[in-house]
Amino acid sequence: MIFGWIRLAIMGAVVLAIVYMLVSVYSRSIRREKLEKHFDAGGVEGDRDAYIENGMKVYQHGLRRRLIWLVVVLPIAAVIATVYFVNWN
Amino acid sequence: MWTKIKWGIRILLLLMVAGFLHYTLPQHDIVRISNTYNKLTPIGGNWMFYGIEDTGTGAETSVNRDIRYIDGVFPNGKVIVYRNEDTGWVWPPYFKYDSATLQGEATNLKSDKANPQWVSITHYGWRLPIISIFPNAVNITPVDGPDVTIIPWVNIIILTTLAFLLFMLRRMWLQFRERTIDPALEDVGDAWDAVDARADDARRSASGLFGRIGAWLGTWRSKPRR
Repeated sequence: MIFGWIRLAIMGAVVLAIVYMLVSVYSRSIRREKLEKHFDAGGVEGDRDAYIENGMKVYQHGLRRRLIWLVVVLPIAAVIATVYFVNWN
Repeated sequence: MWTKIKWGIRILLLLMVAGFLHYTLPQHDIVRISNTYNKLTPIGGNWMFYGIEDTGTGAETSVNRDIRYIDGVFPNGKVIVYRNEDTGWVWPPYFKYDSATLQGEATNLKSDKANPQWVSITHYGWRLPIISIFPNAVNITPVDGPDVTIIPWVNIIILTTLAFLLFMLRRMWLQFRERTIDPALEDVGDAWDAVDARADDARRSASGLFGRIGAWLGTWRSKPRR
């Protein structure tokens, strides 16, 4: 059916949104743990919470957070590549 | 006993996953195409191994379907029959909608025993005569001879990706457990410890009938705030 790919697009959008959310929560959790461990290892001046919040702010604008978009982009690219190689090549 | 059952279930699960992957992932056959044709095919309990309804032209029903077939002959003389059906957009994720073109290519590459034209047919699925199911042809490319080696790059990439996803899923779960579930459980554990301590106090003061009643009444008092 012609609507097949629309259905795929909607389902894919839902699934990819969930995956993106899970990965971004995971990535944030990893970063926070790293900051905590780094502070607890000693050698950092100042307040622990302030240090961690500051580190998370840096993460929020960093490259690593933007790279999470790959979990959305790569599957879409894979689908397009599959369509091309199966039907057009 | 329980370990045997547990291992049995594990092995069964592993076999099911392996079988599922073996059915779904693409494989290459080197064959000579001997015939291409359409056949009205009745579909019953084996519907799972055919295209989903309404995927191609919309004429696919679950009772009778006009399906394109490709007959192939292996270099050792054994034969194989492929079906050539659109997969549609969901499962299996080949997104194939060019079965008419593929049938044209297959017919064009037809050859006889005397002048064999060898082709590599990419397909997925199994040929199981007992339930009348056929592998689905996905791609056909002419090859030089029957002895060419084809490296299954697609399978290498897919299996590596799957292994990586499993690994990441495990890491994500462990991280979630360490950072979210365990602290919550510790809170619960602390609460239980507090209850235990209060119960010990109550037991100590519960001597004699009135002491006991008093202790029992004491358990109804509001908890000390933490």
